[in-house]
Amino acid sequence: MRICFRLIDNKSAFLNPQSAILVLVLVLALLFPAATFAQAPDLSGTWANTIITPLERPKSLGERAFFTDAEAKDFESVDGTYARWKASRDPDTDAIISTEIIGPYTDTGFRKVGTDRRASLLVDPPDGRLPARSPEAQRRAAQLSLGRRYQPPDNPEDLLPSERCLTWGAGPPIMPLPNNSNIQIVQTKTFVAIFHESMHETRIVPLDGRPHLPRSIRLWLGDPRGHWEGNTLVVDTTNLTDKTTIEGAGADAHVIERFTRVNPNELRYEVTVEDAAFAHPWTAAWTMTRMTEPLFEYACHEGNYSMATTLKGARELDRK
Amino acid sequence: MRRIIPLLGFVAALSVPAVAHHAFGGEFDPNRPVLLKGKVTKIEWVNPHAWIHVEVPKAEATTACQFTPNAKCEEWMIEGGTPNTLLRRGITKESLKTGTELVIDGYQARDHSVLRANGRNVTFPDGKKLFLGSSGTGAPLDGADPTEAGRGRGRGGQ
Repeated sequence: MRICFRLIDNKSAFLNPQSAILVLVLVLALLFPAATFAQAPDLSGTWANTIITPLERPKSLGERAFFTDAEAKDFESVDGTYARWKASRDPDTDAIISTEIIGPYTDTGFRKVGTDRRASLLVDPPDGRLPARSPEAQRRAAQLSLGRRYQPPDNPEDLLPSERCLTWGAGPPIMPLPNNSNIQIVQTKTFVAIFHESMHETRIVPLDGRPHLPRSIRLWLGDPRGHWEGNTLVVDTTNLTDKTTIEGAGADAHVIERFTRVNPNELRYEVTVEDAAFAHPWTAAWTMTRMTEPLFEYACHEGNYSMATTLKGARELDRK
Repeated sequence: MRRIIPLLGFVAALSVPAVAHHAFGGEFDPNRPVLLKGKVTKIEWVNPHAWIHVEVPKAEATTACQFTPNAKCEEWMIEGGTPNTLLRRGITKESLKTGTELVIDGYQARDHSVLRANGRNVTFPDGKKLFLGSSGTGAPLDGADPTEAGRGRGRGGQ
């Protein structure tokens, strides 16, 4: 407290060094409260994860990493979306190869590529394509894909987790969906909750440095652990199951996500996936945009009449 | 004003792609188009699909109609899109008030004993049309979908 009584140097009209530092600190604290008081950045809010950019760069682009303006507009358009879907169909097998779901049920016509027009969500490898995958991984990816060939289900368990209202989109990673592709982040000092509109799933990320669960415990959305690196929330996830897959990865996949609010309206999302299924890890990155509206409830199980109708339909096909 | 939609004239008997999420052809019968004229009894604004309940007067039905006196009705459920997306496209619960007479075309459940249909178009008494957007890929390409390539843009049903 002696500083208070010695703000003015006895010998001159200027502040003495100690009080000058105090004044400087007070000025900085007023101008830059976050940096001065070391608060975590605020990721709270609802974020639209509706980017239409595909995970992998379309082959037609060859070595080019970015769409031209015309290519971007065509990719975003309803016509372009339908053209891609139709081109992916195999008329002989009558099975849909593309996993892209389109049409008025979805946000078709409303989604955009990124402002930089990168033609893939993948940023590493630099060719914008997934690393080589084992045949087993490719099979796994195909079996759990929405683009797989329809087989009449005997039981609900024969349908995909999304059709059973179990999980779709919460991740990790939080891949953009054709519809309901929005998240809400709720943040405290000790936890961050990442809530997904699709099937109202929440990942609760502890920030207290506790270790991961034992390997024997597996969770639908994995086991996340978070910490701050500067302005970036880093979420490390393990303990996944074989009921879902990340592009063919197995249950021992290791996922590292990075969330950075680069400006008030943009959340930069970066995800790295490591798994024995891939020749080497890969990284994808894109931007989510702030929503001004709240999310709408998605009580999937309660409204899933389609499950019963689909099972009855399968029994009808059996009778034929 | 009654509108008779020559549905069969519009529908081309196209082969339906077998696709998951949740396969259209597994749940509904693309060779069983239906045209239902009835009054809305209930709207279920739920996920993953909104459902419109309509009572359709039928002589052989067993239940008394709620909105048509001295008549018997079948109770049908029509599948629409996810409310979240419908809402963002400007279609709300209020767009489909109970008691409103609608003409709905769609495709019936594959099990024909089930009075459910995948809704395509809804036509209001004033002639306004709404596309229910209940399907993603897999539904028959019968021209009803205004967002289908070459036929319209973006919005479902306006």
